[in-house]
Amino acid sequence: MNLGIEQLFGRGPALRREIEASRGLLCRMAYAWCHDATLAEDLAQSAVEKALRAAGQLREPDRLRAWLLKILANCLKDHLRERRETGDYEEIEETLVSPEATPEESRASAEIVGRVRRAVAALPQGQRQVVTLVDLEDCSYAQAGEILEIPIGTVMSRLCRARAALRESLETVAREELGSRLRSVK
Amino acid sequence: MSGERRVSEEMLGAFVDGQLDGAEWAEVAARVEADALLREEVCRLRALKAGIRHAYARTPAARARARSPRGPGWMGLVAASALFALAGWFGHAEWNRPAVLDSASAYALRGDWQGLRGDWGSLAGGKVLVHVNSAGRETLGGALDEIEDLLREARREGRAIEVEIVANGPGLDILRADDGSFAPRLASLRRDYPALSLVACRQTIERRAARGERVELAPAVTIAPSALHEVVEKLREGWIYVRV
Repeated sequence: MNLGIEQLFGRGPALRREIEASRGLLCRMAYAWCHDATLAEDLAQSAVEKALRAAGQLREPDRLRAWLLKILANCLKDHLRERRETGDYEEIEETLVSPEATPEESRASAEIVGRVRRAVAALPQGQRQVVTLVDLEDCSYAQAGEILEIPIGTVMSRLCRARAALRESLETVAREELGSRLRSVK
Repeated sequence: MSGERRVSEEMLGAFVDGQLDGAEWAEVAARVEADALLREEVCRLRALKAGIRHAYARTPAARARARSPRGPGWMGLVAASALFALAGWFGHAEWNRPAVLDSASAYALRGDWQGLRGDWGSLAGGKVLVHVNSAGRETLGGALDEIEDLLREARREGRAIEVEIVANGPGLDILRADDGSFAPRLASLRRDYPALSLVACRQTIERRAARGERVELAPAVTIAPSALHEVVEKLREGWIYVRV
């Protein structure tokens, strides 16, 4: 429990709570990056642990989210490095579509969800991280660059390529199905 | 291109992402304003952003983390954005619809129910809208368990809370007077916790009536013009949205 001196003076507990409360956000982002529910939980967990240990180093509290996401990005990097080193190439669990039984109304919605996730999962890692940071968390380009440790120009070009690829794989299907869906809506 | 500078894809993306400064923004905005094709591009980019948000509004990770012995429970309940709520009705139509309500639901977008629960103390007003539009009896039962927990917890800690269940589609069954499992449960919940209100969707009732189905609602159920209307109103008022 090494939380830094702030804990003694009041900021610590609040910050700690904020870090804990960000777990959902981290988990969601980790899932959007790796599409493996178990791994996402592990990554979010280790990011939270690291953040709690290093909480004293956060100088500007309004940069908490970017700071946490950067820790998360590093956790993923470490994980990928480790996996390469151990040659552990086990197949990533495919949890792209929620498997629960859904009524018709949300089944259509679950289908879209599955398609979007598959399209996002098919992007190269760097593009996937940029597009999810910007679109899921509304990160600015500067924040995304800082989190991933890449220049803004790279953020913009990756984002552009990612979106072009996503549109390519999603828009055709969406157009085809929009017609049939609208007919079934009263 | 006859002398006129084209708006690059990167610029258009930055425009949609709110990443341009005043002068650049004004320049791109003027071009978009004047060009139907660019406007369509902007719409598509917005739809893509909305689609990605929707796709990760609830993740398997968030559900797997809620290890409740009761089974589905909160795992099936997911805090989500207004857009997510609307997507339930419009399905694919969201693709050509700008994300009108996005900002109203920034909090709900942040994460899963457990996260919200953890944050509970810091929320200004504890107002939770539970939207029921599926018919799985186990899920519905689990949802009622969780709602009861929430109300009990708030009472124990002396916190103000309001919970509203709004039901439509197959979910309307939860509010039926003649449903042997839910009606007594709701009645006792209502007795113990006046902060719980129950709202049914008029459109669902009318649709069922048109099929010759008589719907008798449990006492104290009020009727909203439509569940969609109710959800949108509540989100505007800053309620937290949870979908069963």
